[in-house]
Amino acid sequence: MLTQTWAMLVDAYRELCARKLFWITMGISALVVLIFAAIGIDEKGMSILWFRVPFGGAAEDLLSKKMFYVALFQGWGVTLWLGIIASILALVTTAGFFPSMVEAGSIEVHLSKPISRLRLFLTRYFAGLLFVAIQVGVFTTASFFVLGLRGGVWLPSVFLAIPIVVVFFSYLFSFCVLVGVWMRSTMPALLLTLLFWFSLYILNTGDFILVGFREGNREIVEARAARIERMERNARKSIVELKASEGVENYEPTDEEIVATMPLLARERAVQKDDMESVRALEQWTRWIYRAKSLMPKTSETVALLDRWLIPADERVEAQIRAKAEFQAKASSRNGRENTEDDLPEGMNPFAIKQEMESRSVLWVLGTSLLHEAVVLALASFIFVRRDY
Amino acid sequence: MSQGEGDWALDLSHVAKTFRGGVQALRGIEMRVWRGEVFGLLGPNGAGKSTLIKILMTVIRPSRCEGTILGRRVGDQSVLARVGYLPEHHRFPDYLTARQLLHYVGAMGKINRKERVQRIGKLLDMVDMTDWADKKLGSFSKGMRQRVGLAQALCNDPDLVLLDEPTDGVDPVGRRDIRKIVARLRDEGKTVFLNSHLLSELEMVCERVAILLRGEVRLQGTMSELIDRRAGYRIRLGCDDDVEVGRAAVSAALPGGVEVRERELVFKTAEAKEVQPAIDALRQRGFTISHCWVHKPTLEDLFLEAVVDPETGQPMHVGAARKGKG
Repeated sequence: MLTQTWAMLVDAYRELCARKLFWITMGISALVVLIFAAIGIDEKGMSILWFRVPFGGAAEDLLSKKMFYVALFQGWGVTLWLGIIASILALVTTAGFFPSMVEAGSIEVHLSKPISRLRLFLTRYFAGLLFVAIQVGVFTTASFFVLGLRGGVWLPSVFLAIPIVVVFFSYLFSFCVLVGVWMRSTMPALLLTLLFWFSLYILNTGDFILVGFREGNREIVEARAARIERMERNARKSIVELKASEGVENYEPTDEEIVATMPLLARERAVQKDDMESVRALEQWTRWIYRAKSLMPKTSETVALLDRWLIPADERVEAQIRAKAEFQAKASSRNGRENTEDDLPEGMNPFAIKQEMESRSVLWVLGTSLLHEAVVLALASFIFVRRDY
Repeated sequence: MSQGEGDWALDLSHVAKTFRGGVQALRGIEMRVWRGEVFGLLGPNGAGKSTLIKILMTVIRPSRCEGTILGRRVGDQSVLARVGYLPEHHRFPDYLTARQLLHYVGAMGKINRKERVQRIGKLLDMVDMTDWADKKLGSFSKGMRQRVGLAQALCNDPDLVLLDEPTDGVDPVGRRDIRKIVARLRDEGKTVFLNSHLLSELEMVCERVAILLRGEVRLQGTMSELIDRRAGYRIRLGCDDDVEVGRAAVSAALPGGVEVRERELVFKTAEAKEVQPAIDALRQRGFTISHCWVHKPTLEDLFLEAVVDPETGQPMHVGAARKGKG
């Protein structure tokens, strides 16, 4: 049994090695690591190779050396390189993995062996993931040493990038396999997978934007409620003082009197009603998108898991507080004065997006995504097992 | 040689396959192949030969199939460890060398590495590819690929070897080599199931053949059975003799047993005793007998006979039948 599995893995490795794109991707990976290693940070600022790139104040005050390299690895190396560019290259390389096996003249050699079709399918599938595992493995190992030697941080948790990126890629690869087995052609498999990925991106972006607006609007509603309360309090106080001066003690003003005293209040209340409607609509939409996402693989959130596991919670919170303060300072500078309690927050809250994403459990992120993958694979394997070749 | 039930390498009955769309590729094949024999499968294009082989190799699922392959139910994958297969139009990966391909196929056939190493050397030698063992298949000619293909079919030291068009694209020397290999396999007691369009090739190596037509076995038997049954005397008369008059003279002596084909009198018997009255009748009437011989049909004759529609006398249309259209 192991003889067959090992033979298929070795064959897949040889097939990958025979593809130029595999080596091109490995070459670019090496270049990314070299660029990564060329960037330095110290008390004087940043440096790229031997060129200094000073930025206002001491660089290390803004960002610790460790955080700098970890952020570089996570943001640039994993999210951008492995999570997008290298994944596209990997899809291009592996899209033909199943179509090439099921083509006439090739499939007979495989099916005429004492191995069940299901095992053949699954072994081939996991052999396909080998491509990404090798690529991420090499990249992560090199990055580990760059982090250690350049940043002085020996962080074994960076190796979590290997399973995370492989799992993320497997969501797409499973879909690619389904189309490949179904249509027996590489190009539709690749194009439909990229389209599927793009759809997931749109769904994710929609989710993030709506969550940002929902939270921003909730804050506005809260802030406006406080403003309305202040206005009502002030109006009530004025009326009570006026009545007291007329000799009426303990006067309880009516709402009409309050609105008459403070004409802006009616407009604020109307706007508040509209905003509350908006929040309700946004809550409804985010609920629907959340449910839709529960059925789909969560590509962005899966890659973002590395963020959670790579950087300790307290450091993440600290970084967020710092970033939020910076965001609010920017908002103040846009107003041209310090924000007061009467100023309403921005309609979009980007920090809420991150908080919301981090509040979603690992079980939901990975569990439901893997469930989707299992369903897709079950369908693909059913087609593979039942088909006449 | 007496053979019993356990001696069948292949014992097939009611093998049928209807593809989606109603195309009936096989319509109840009945076929038996003895262990240790070389069996030839013939048929025009679309007769269902490759479909039958693919069913045996579990590449295609039959609509109906009863029978065994090496004593195991058809479709039982464990038996494939004892079967070798060379597919028609095979496409072996270009990135592998001949040796790597054989290792891969051997490993998939559950042969351990030590055994593979020993066997692969011998097989490459057998197909005369030792010098090319470590070259990529991408650089091979069709004939070389076919040789490697034959080697991979023998990688697991099979009891039954199914070869689908093994001489396809192979030069005459290569064909002779393949024939020798087939003969050697037979001598080693292995069963060889050959599917080929080259009737002369089959004629040289097969002990038994079956002719498939539109998904059914049209003819099946040993070469000698099929040929002897159709063997018969032929007499060529002198140039000046009227053949039709000669036929009339012979018919009286041998009623119903003679016909004329290309100026020859064709008898249905190969028994010398039975044609003597006919010869006497011709001699008595002054006919010149220029040639007299026993004609044995070739496999091509048998094949053409099998594919001719008895009603029209024309070759039947090639291809599989559609359900409900006979």
